[in-house]
Amino acid sequence: MIEVAGLELARCEACHSRFLPSDGPCPKCGSRDCVAYSTSAVGRVLVATELQYPATGWTAPHPLILVELSDGVRVLAIGDGPLPAAGALVEVRHDHEVYRARPEPSR
Amino acid sequence: MTVHIASVGMGRFGKRPESLVALATEAAQFALEGVGRKPIDLLVVGTMFAHGPHGREAFLPRLAGILGLESASGFRVDSSSGTGGMAFHVAAHALETGRFERALVVGAEKMTDRTTAENTKDLSASLHMSEVAAGATMPGLAAIVAARYLDRYHLTSHLCDVSTVHARAMAAANPNAHFQKPVTLEEAASSKPVALPLRLLHCSAISDGATAVVLEKGAGPATVLGLGQGFDALRIVDREELTSFVATRVAAKRAYEDAHLTRKEVNVIELHDAFSPFSMISFEDLGMCGPGEALEWFEKGWVGLNGRLPVNPSGGVVGRGHPVAASGLAEIAEVALQLRGEAGAHAIGSLPRIGLAQTISGIGSHNFVTILGREAA
Repeated sequence: MIEVAGLELARCEACHSRFLPSDGPCPKCGSRDCVAYSTSAVGRVLVATELQYPATGWTAPHPLILVELSDGVRVLAIGDGPLPAAGALVEVRHDHEVYRARPEPSR
Repeated sequence: MTVHIASVGMGRFGKRPESLVALATEAAQFALEGVGRKPIDLLVVGTMFAHGPHGREAFLPRLAGILGLESASGFRVDSSSGTGGMAFHVAAHALETGRFERALVVGAEKMTDRTTAENTKDLSASLHMSEVAAGATMPGLAAIVAARYLDRYHLTSHLCDVSTVHARAMAAANPNAHFQKPVTLEEAASSKPVALPLRLLHCSAISDGATAVVLEKGAGPATVLGLGQGFDALRIVDREELTSFVATRVAAKRAYEDAHLTRKEVNVIELHDAFSPFSMISFEDLGMCGPGEALEWFEKGWVGLNGRLPVNPSGGVVGRGHPVAASGLAEIAEVALQLRGEAGAHAIGSLPRIGLAQTISGIGSHNFVTILGREAA
């Protein structure tokens, strides 16, 4: 597996759970004692679907992918490229306010 | 303080020419007539969009004026698709304090005069904004929940078809339901993809409609026995699991405890199948069977009108239609109709003693469970 840029996540210092950064406290225990850390941006597709009736501003079909990163954190991402199958590896990147997932770069 | 549903008012759900206020007034008048127009000192209304012909409107004072209830106290609540359930709980809790004698509760929505894209955008207000930013919609996230459920229990989208066929068969006996014709498994399975595994007939329809009930102090054939509610993370990636709604499990536990009874004593259920697999998930979350086992109940007809435990005799959200803020109250109203022996052609096989209604907000972020019974607690 080639090296890809890391993804910034958050870790709760109180209960040690890991999650996507947000403007709120730890989603598990409510603590605000949370720190940022970097992890691999490669994850496995849990679900990939295409929205045939997207909201205003999006084009059909709109690919939506639920990805699980190696440390268990889940990311809802917009698909870039062909729609991957469940179980496939994808690379996730943070693009302004959203996450995008594309097939993992080949070896 | 014991309270009970003294009357139910419902108009037809579907594509209606009337305004939001007119739909709400129709349902309210039916409910008020049901109690002989006794005085109302509390008005609780629910609408998500408050959508009038000229944009958002002052729904609560307008309705109070039309109904002649300016001397009552009033509240307007909004919990997206759970609004009707929330409105009922607010009114029931208020009466239980002893401050009020009799409440009119109304849930109403006007949707069919807007485009699908407009409704989709506004319904997304019930989701986490970071996920909406990625283009998530209600059907999109429901598809993700459905896919996870099917994958976990090694099932196929046939489950969605079975649930839709059940809903539409029940709705065909309910004159107020949006859909009056049953559908086949093949029709459900071949309908247009919305967000696979969900297809068009697996999704609730955009509908107009209103429901009203009158709640009053004292016991009756539809006495409030238990109320429960629960939250779950709004951002679905923060949830422990996606194959079950924690908010329903918490709400059910609280409602069973409040009612001092167990799920085994429930004789009829109305649950919130905004998307057809949700009926199975909710049935399991209420403890009626084990995880991944609900399909067998639906396939074997155990949830039919004459089954072991009838589910959604009204047609549910998929069959009855989904004017979002009216649906939660319609679920409670249907249970009351069953208990009161007023369900007509969609009455279950024998008069129930205990009924349960479950309501989901958004994609399961804030859910309500209401238990009604023929005897006071």
